Amino acid sequence: MRKVKVLAGTMILLLGFTGIAFVSEKNKEEVAIPEEPQGVVYYESEDFGGPEIVYAKPVRGVLFSHKYHVGELGLPCESCHNSIFEMQALKSQENPDFNMEALYKGKYCGACHNGESAFASNTKCATCHIGVKGLREYMKKLAEKEKK
Amino acid sequence: MFRGIKEWLLSLKNEGVEQVPDETKREFLKIGLIITGVFAGGSLFSVVSKVAEGLASPEELHKGYPYKPHYSMVFKLDRCIDCELCMEACRKTNHVPDYGWRTMILRRHDETALDQKTLFMPILCNHCNNPPCVRACPTKATYKDKKTGIVRMAYYKCLGCKTCMVACPYNARYFNEEKHAVDKCDFCWESRLSKGMTITACAEACPAGVRIFGDLSDPGSEVYQLVHQLAKPVWVLKPETGARPNVFYTIS
Amino acid sequence: MSEKKNPVATEAEVTTFSQTWLSSLLEFLSGTKAFYFLVGLSALVVLLAAMFGVNAMHIGFRHAYGVYREIPWGLLISGYVFFVVTSTGLCIVSSIGHVFGVKSFIPIAKRSVYLSVVTIVAGFMVIFFDVENPFRLPIWNTLSPNFTSNIWWMGTLYGAYLFFMTLEFILLLLEKHRYAMLSGLLGLISGVAAHSNLGAVFGMLHGREFWYGPYMPIYFIASAAASGCTAIIFFTYLGYKITGERMDRAMEMSLQAVGKIWALFLAVLMFFTTWKLITGLAGGEGKVLAIKELLAGKYALNFWLFEVGFGLLIPFFLLLLSGFRNLNQMFAASVFAFIGIFFMRVDLVVVGQIVSHFFEYKVTDFPVLLKYSPSIYEIMVVVGATAFCIMAFLIGEKVFKGHKTEIH
Repeated sequence: MRKVKVLAGTMILLLGFTGIAFVSEKNKEEVAIPEEPQGVVYYESEDFGGPEIVYAKPVRGVLFSHKYHVGELGLPCESCHNSIFEMQALKSQENPDFNMEALYKGKYCGACHNGESAFASNTKCATCHIGVKGLREYMKKLAEKEKK
Repeated sequence: MFRGIKEWLLSLKNEGVEQVPDETKREFLKIGLIITGVFAGGSLFSVVSKVAEGLASPEELHKGYPYKPHYSMVFKLDRCIDCELCMEACRKTNHVPDYGWRTMILRRHDETALDQKTLFMPILCNHCNNPPCVRACPTKATYKDKKTGIVRMAYYKCLGCKTCMVACPYNARYFNEEKHAVDKCDFCWESRLSKGMTITACAEACPAGVRIFGDLSDPGSEVYQLVHQLAKPVWVLKPETGARPNVFYTIS
Repeated sequence: MSEKKNPVATEAEVTTFSQTWLSSLLEFLSGTKAFYFLVGLSALVVLLAAMFGVNAMHIGFRHAYGVYREIPWGLLISGYVFFVVTSTGLCIVSSIGHVFGVKSFIPIAKRSVYLSVVTIVAGFMVIFFDVENPFRLPIWNTLSPNFTSNIWWMGTLYGAYLFFMTLEFILLLLEKHRYAMLSGLLGLISGVAAHSNLGAVFGMLHGREFWYGPYMPIYFIASAAASGCTAIIFFTYLGYKITGERMDRAMEMSLQAVGKIWALFLAVLMFFTTWKLITGLAGGEGKVLAIKELLAGKYALNFWLFEVGFGLLIPFFLLLLSGFRNLNQMFAASVFAFIGIFFMRVDLVVVGQIVSHFFEYKVTDFPVLLKYSPSIYEIMVVVGATAFCIMAFLIGEKVFKGHKTEIH
C-alpha cells in the first residue's frame, strides 16, 4: 500500500512539472510589436502650449519638443505659428518637401536651425532624430497615459 | 637502451635555425600549432597565416590587404539617426526572422554628457581578420572566404553548439530556426554581391550615408580614403580582443 | 572476478563475453522488489526527461529553454560540464590504482571505471539536448574537422575516452588486467586531454574576459580530480549501504586514501578560487563586473553558500573532522560537495556570459549585466541525466555484485 502511495506521489510530482512547463511555455509567447503610427503627438503638460511631436515621415523618429522650445527657451507661439508651421500637429510631414534639403534652404526647422539662431540643421543629428527607439518610447508613454 | 638514446642526443649538433628556409620554419610551426589545437592570436598567428597581415590597428593600416576585394564597411557614426531603414532592408533581403538580427543600431545615451546626449551606433559582423568564431567552430561551418575575406556560413555543417555565438565579441550571431543553423551578416554575399551587385542592402538603404561599403584594397574606393587618413579619428570596436575587425568607425 | 563464484560460469575455464552477458542478465533478474522499484522509478524519470527534451526539440530550443542570443550557454552546458568533470575525475583517481599500480587504490577501481562510463554517457545525453542539430555532429565532426577548435578536440577525444573506458571495463570483467591497464592508460590520456580542452573551450575565447587565460584548463583538471574523489566516496559508500554488506579492510583503506587525496585537491581548489578572485578584481572592467556580481550580486548566494560553503569548506572540514577514518562523515562531506560542485559549474558557465557585449559604450539596448534563469525543460534534462546515473549505478551494483576486485 505504501508503495502505491509513493508511486502516486511521484506521478503527481511529474505531472506537476509538466504543468509548470506548459504554463511557462504559454507565458513565453512574444509580445506582438504594435504597428507604428504615422507619428506621435504626446502632451507632456498643458503649460508648454503644445505637445511633443514625433514625426514618422520621411524618416521615423524626429522629435519637436514644445516642452523645450516653449517651456525652457520661452519662445512665443508666433515665432513659428503659422508662418513656418501650421497649428495642426504632424501636418508638415505630409508635404513632399519636408526633408533635410528644405531645412538647409531655411524652410521649416531650418528657419532657426541655420547655425546662427540655433545649431545648424546638418549638425548634431541625434539631438532631434530620436530614432525608431525614441519613437517607440513615446508610443509607450502615450499608451500608458491613455490607460490612465 | 637509455644509454643509446643519451649518446644519440649528445651526438646531435646544433644545426642552427638560420639555415632552415623560412618556408620550412613556417610549415613546422603550422604543424605544431595544428596538432596542439592551439592557435595563438595576434603575433603568433601572423607567422603562420597571411590573413593576419590585414589591418587592425593604426600602425598596421598601410601594410596591405590579403583579400581581393577586401570587403570592408566604414560608419560615419555621427550621421546615424536610427531610422532603421538598414535593418528593414536587411530583414527583407536576407530573410532575417523577427527574433534575430544581422545588423542593429545601438543607442548610446548619457544624461551627463554635454550638449548632445545621444549617439546611435550601428553594429554588424566585423568580418574580422582573426575571427574568434572561425577558430572556435568545430566543423568549419563558419569560415573566412578565401577570396573576399567575408566570414560566411556553411549552414548545412552547423551543429548548433553555439560556441561561435559565445566566442563572438560583437554579438553578431544568432540561431536561425528556419535554417537550423547559426546565421550572421555575410555582407549580402549570398543575396546581392554574388549576383553582381556592388553594395550591401543596408548601405543602399541608408538615407544619411552612414554606411560606406567597399573594397579596402582599392586605393580609389571611398572606404580606403576614409580609413587611410589622419585628420579624423578612425577606430574599431573592442580592439583588445585581437580579432582585427574590418568594420571601422569614423565621424563625418 | 565474479564469474568464478557464478554458477553459470563455474565450469568455464575461459570466460567468454557472451557468458558474462548471460550471468549479468541472470543477476539482474534476481533483484529484490525495492531494487526494481528504484530502478523503475529512475527509468521513469529518465523517460520523462527524454520526453521533455524531445518536446523542446520539437517546439524549438528558443521557446523551450532559458538561453538566448546573448547568453547561449546555460544550465545544460553546466550540466554537461558537471557530468564530464565527474567522469574524468573518476578516471583520474581510479587510474592511480590499476594503471599506476598503487595497491591501496585498487579496490575502488572497478566501480570507478564503471561510473566514469555512466557519467560520460549522462554528459552526452545532456549535450544531445543542448546542441541544436545533434544528428549532424558525427557526420561533420568527421568530414569537416577544424583542428584549431577546442570543442572539436574535446568532442573527439571524449569519443575516444568513452571507447577506451568501456573497453577497459569489459577487459576488467574478463580479468585481462594487462590489456585493461593499457586501455585505462589510453583512456586516462584521452580523458585528461579532452578535459583540458573543455577548459580551453572557455579559456580561449578572447572576447570573454571572465574565462580568458590559461587558468581554465588547469583549473578543470584540478577540479576533476576533486569531483572524482567526491564521486568515489559517495557511490562506494552508497553501494555498501544498499547491499548492507560490511566493507572489508582493503576497501576501507582505499576510501581513506581517496579521502586524503580529496582533501589535497580541495585545498588546491580553494587556492585556485582565491587567486581567481584576486586577479579578477585587479583585471579589466568587464572581469571586475562579473566577479563583483559573483561576490556580492545575484550570484553571491550561489557562490558563498554553495560553491564555497557546500563545495569547498564544509567537505574540507568534515574530512578533517573524520580524520579520514569515519566513513559516515566522509560520505556526508561528499553529499555536500556534490551539490556544491553543481553550483560551481553553473557559476562558471553563466557568470562568464552575463556581462553585456557593449557595456562600456553605455548602450540603452542591453543592461550592463544580463540575466539568465533556466527553464523547466533545461532543469528536467539535467534531472533526467542524474536519474540515469542513479539507475545505472543501481543496476551496476546489482549486476556486477558490488564491483568486487580480487587482488592477485
